[in-house]
Amino acid sequence: MNISPYEAEQALAAIQAMMQKTRRAISSSGAYLFLIVWGIIWLLGFLGAQFLPQYIAVYTWVVLDILGGILSAIIGIRMNRGVRSPSSSSSGKRIAIFWMLLFLYCVASIAVSWPADGKQLAMFIILFVMVGWLAMGLLLSFTSIWPAVIITALALVGYFLLPGIFNLWMAILGGGGMIVLGLYIRSRW
Amino acid sequence: MAELNETIHQPVRLRIMAALVTLGPNEEVDFTYLRDLLGVTDGNLGAHLRKLEEAGYIAVNKTFVERKPRTYVAATAEGRKVFAEHVVALESILRSK
Repeated sequence: MNISPYEAEQALAAIQAMMQKTRRAISSSGAYLFLIVWGIIWLLGFLGAQFLPQYIAVYTWVVLDILGGILSAIIGIRMNRGVRSPSSSSSGKRIAIFWMLLFLYCVASIAVSWPADGKQLAMFIILFVMVGWLAMGLLLSFTSIWPAVIITALALVGYFLLPGIFNLWMAILGGGGMIVLGLYIRSRW
Repeated sequence: MAELNETIHQPVRLRIMAALVTLGPNEEVDFTYLRDLLGVTDGNLGAHLRKLEEAGYIAVNKTFVERKPRTYVAATAEGRKVFAEHVVALESILRSK
């Protein structure tokens, strides 16, 4: 079988394009959406905590977290559609159990350290979520641990050095950062 | 020197193999997901998959998920090997330009 260099170039371009499309299809079925959804939730929740009366801000957080949980479940189910592996079903269940246990440990830690103010509560939740993110990164994709490390560092800087604008700091850098990262991952793939 | 593979070089089959080798070694893709990814019809995809299956380059797994019939497709080790050789052959043609 003989083909011209031009045909070879066309075939290689078609292969490259298909591989990129496949990677994007797999990733766009979920991963980056988690970042965008939770980025928007953090942005709105922390802005509410900064500018709204405390009782309204607390209810806002509760509603946003429930919404985030529902959307995450939908995204998680969609991620399993289309591509499967023998280990994906059991590892999916283990990951779900891990997050549920982490949530319970977070609640237990808050209960032990109670009373805590709004900023301390936020930091507890941020730190536990980032531990979960790091665990997922170490398990699934090592490079994805760096955003979690950076967000944790930003949260600690805001908590200790900028307590007056902590919520605003987390809304813009934490929430906004996750949205930008999600959009970046989508465009890069 | 690696040689071009006539079975794989057909444009649709080339894209099918490119999509399948992008998945992990133990992963398989749903027929309808692959059809939408490639933008081809059921019949067209089915015909090309049969050719690739006959050549031993892909494995077709018909199963039931929640009582609904589903067909999953994956590249075999042989399929991955010949696809990689095909890509090397294409690259060598390009280099000899």
